[in-house]
Amino acid sequence: MANVEFDQVWKRFATQTEAAVRGLSLTIPDRELLVLLGPSGCGKTTALRMLAGLEEPDGGDIRIGGKSVVGLEPKDRDVALVFQSYALYPHLSARDNIGYPLKVRNLSKAEQQAKVERVAEMLAIGHLLPRRPGQLSGGEQQRVALARAIVREPRVFLMDEPLSNLDAKLRVHTRTELKTLQRELGTTMVFVTHDQAEAMSLAHRIAVLNKGELQQIGTPDEVYDHPANVFVAEFIGSPPMNLLEATRDGDSVVAAGGWRMPSPNGAHAGAGSTSDGELTVGLRPEGIEIVTDGQPAEVVAVEPFGSEVIVDVRIGEQALKIRAEPDVRPAPGSTVALRADPDAVRLFDRSSGAALS
Amino acid sequence: MAVATRGRLGRNRLYLAGLSPAAFLLALFFVGPALWAVGSSFTNRALVGLDAANPRFVGLDNYTRLFSDPDFGRVILNSVIFVIGSAIIGQFVLGLLLALLLDYAQRRGFLASNLVYGAVLLAWVNPTIIAGFLWVAMFDFYNGSLNTGLGVVGAPPINWLGQGPMLAVIIANTWRGTAFTMLIFLGALRTIPSDIYEAARVDGASAFRRFWDHTLPILRPIAALTLLSVTMATFGTFILIQTLTNGGPAFQTEVIALYAFHEAFQNHAVGYGSTISVVMLALNLAFAVVFLRWSRARA
Amino acid sequence: MTAVTAAAGGTAVDQLARSATTEPPPRPKAKAGPLEWIVVHVVFLVVIAFFLVPFLWLLSAAFDAKASAYIQIPVEPTIMNFVKIFTEHDFARVLANSIFVAVATMILVVFTVSLAGYSLSRLDLRRKDWITYAVLLLQTMPISATMVPIYGLARQLGLRNSYLGLILIHAAIELPFLIWLMKGFFDSIPRHLEEAAWLDGRSKFRALIEIVLPLARPGLGIAAGLAFLSAWAEVLMVIILIDQDNLKTVPLAFYEAMRTQGGYTEVQYGVIAAMAVIYLLPVMVVFFMARRLMIRGLMSSTRGL
Repeated sequence: MANVEFDQVWKRFATQTEAAVRGLSLTIPDRELLVLLGPSGCGKTTALRMLAGLEEPDGGDIRIGGKSVVGLEPKDRDVALVFQSYALYPHLSARDNIGYPLKVRNLSKAEQQAKVERVAEMLAIGHLLPRRPGQLSGGEQQRVALARAIVREPRVFLMDEPLSNLDAKLRVHTRTELKTLQRELGTTMVFVTHDQAEAMSLAHRIAVLNKGELQQIGTPDEVYDHPANVFVAEFIGSPPMNLLEATRDGDSVVAAGGWRMPSPNGAHAGAGSTSDGELTVGLRPEGIEIVTDGQPAEVVAVEPFGSEVIVDVRIGEQALKIRAEPDVRPAPGSTVALRADPDAVRLFDRSSGAALS
Repeated sequence: MAVATRGRLGRNRLYLAGLSPAAFLLALFFVGPALWAVGSSFTNRALVGLDAANPRFVGLDNYTRLFSDPDFGRVILNSVIFVIGSAIIGQFVLGLLLALLLDYAQRRGFLASNLVYGAVLLAWVNPTIIAGFLWVAMFDFYNGSLNTGLGVVGAPPINWLGQGPMLAVIIANTWRGTAFTMLIFLGALRTIPSDIYEAARVDGASAFRRFWDHTLPILRPIAALTLLSVTMATFGTFILIQTLTNGGPAFQTEVIALYAFHEAFQNHAVGYGSTISVVMLALNLAFAVVFLRWSRARA
Repeated sequence: MTAVTAAAGGTAVDQLARSATTEPPPRPKAKAGPLEWIVVHVVFLVVIAFFLVPFLWLLSAAFDAKASAYIQIPVEPTIMNFVKIFTEHDFARVLANSIFVAVATMILVVFTVSLAGYSLSRLDLRRKDWITYAVLLLQTMPISATMVPIYGLARQLGLRNSYLGLILIHAAIELPFLIWLMKGFFDSIPRHLEEAAWLDGRSKFRALIEIVLPLARPGLGIAAGLAFLSAWAEVLMVIILIDQDNLKTVPLAFYEAMRTQGGYTEVQYGVIAAMAVIYLLPVMVVFFMARRLMIRGLMSSTRGL
């Protein structure tokens, strides 16, 4: 059980011109489940591998429990890693797979047996132990990989997109299990994924990365409600936040089609804003209402999802998605009136993309 | 034609017909010679002289003569030594080592490994007669590259073909054939995803441990089959040894293929030569049956 | 799959193949430390030296008027060796003979093997396995063991000193493996393609030619290449069957040049090396163009040479 710190970590691979990880700094307190989220190539897996000891940083420090682990072999860091491909030893049975880290540590056969049985019971895979990976389904392999990591009782769990090879239903189910498991075990966990829904559902905090740089770190609510920049705003949330070009006009903000909305408090002189008046306005789909009297927009399509309806509209060239009650069914081609919820308006500097608080 | 070709039986008839040119060639030039050899081994057929015109049936005389001839014992011994030296110690071990080296180097991103790979293959792919020529020059006592190299470091020249002929042919044949085992082992090694080694590393396994626990178990199943394959391939070596030593000096490198050839074409005893050929074919058949049975059990 | 490569796919390896789930994107490799770099490259150098030195010698000797058995920078660089082999040693004829025999064998083999491979693939007999088994068995036969009986048989059939005999025999030698290879290719072409053609009224033969063969082109290419190279390198049968000067092929010329032990003057090495270089050209060309295919082909052969 330990906390993890990244301190200005840099990594560039010899074969690439751009650095994979740039100046990454973040702290993960003990017992937290942190999700590293970002598109592929953003550096999240590289950061995880550096934490595991499979890669070494070119600059900066990585600490576990306060002590630097840079230069230490993976086995000396007391971390466990679950690979995206599970990396199960194909020639060994599930039992031997799980027991392998214990075997390497020269535990007695009896002890190995006991620990393996215990973990197998925890994950309900006791009946799978004698089988080989080739005889297991994807979900079963994933549990064996998990068991192999758990049996070591490491200080930190590292997971590299462990759910992405599962089919959708299993993925959602396993997600919940993982969350519960982490809470029960109480071990610090660093979880890498590109799936924002997964991140939102699992994380205590999410660290969003793009092109090697940390974009924002915060709880799911923080990241959802107050994205630090346009990238985070678009990446998190499904459907993504609607982004409109706008200009400032006194107390208000005027967006496409002459849509006027109140700017959030204190957005007049946003810190660090290149205030030439050019902005981007962000509105989540649920932050727009369809009313009787408001900004006109043309309905393009209506997507019913049972518990809600997503209405695709257009203001001029600008496309928007709106979340509405299930009974709201405007006809495609008709015009509706929109109103922006003042609490949902988010402003971003148009050139830098940074949020204006 | 339409009626005859409809239905399974009709189609099969056509397919069997399609096989017939191949079957004809194979019968004539595989089965035919085998039968001819067997038949001839029971005669005293010769290339010249009385027995050429009127070969006599001599029953098992050739066989009894062969198995009681100490020369043949020597030939068998030579063949065994050659196979152990070139196939087992040479090609098998060297092929395995090269495969391990190349797999490691490729995973670590060493580009020069492609050169190594190409060099080993080149030695294998060129016609055997050329290989023979190249090594005749290499082993040349006065000017050969090997002795010149020894001279450079101040060592005395070795009379390879004169005093160490078995070693010389073993070296030449190993040079020639190693690519075969290397390719098989490399193929097996490449099926191991790098993730496995990384997982083992995270689990705490040292480099040696990773090799022992994960690399070797992958190689074990195919090792026996590969060994048998390369043994069979080396068993019939002829041209390479003939160009280097022609079985000499003084019978030291006379392997079974050469023995048959010399008996038939130098001593003109075709019947006797056939006997030796039959023994070769029988031995090879035994190996082949074992090989095929093992490989089917695996697949 | 060939007998050997089928063997290489043993139980453990099959499981490996099955258990490998979607591969994550290939990761950039970590740099190797300096010590590791040096050690690996030293080993590489030793290995490359062992395998390439004979070829380096060949090149140096071919272009040297005063060639010797050891590698040297050509004492008297020249291309006269290449000229001499044509003017003084009648290499042109020998080369032409080799080309003719190899091409003819290749044509015969491709025709026979595509027909046989297709037929074997589509054959629907209970005992079909036996045929495949028999073909595999034949493939393992060492040709050197058949030298004596083929000599006898050829003499009785009057096929000695005739290209007909040589081509037929050499084609036969190449058949087992290549039939196996083509069968594999045809197995991978679904039957319903030709069945559709039959329903359209095509005869089986035309369907084969028009529909199936074009799809099997890569396989045919491999078979043709291997057939050519195998015939090009053929020496055992040539020794047995040919002794007329005007019919000799290149391997036989080499063979005879080396049988006369001794008498190696410096001129000889250079000239023979030049012949070897020219003789090797087609092999090199095919090797560089079709490495993977060649390897797959040669891998299955367990015969000695």
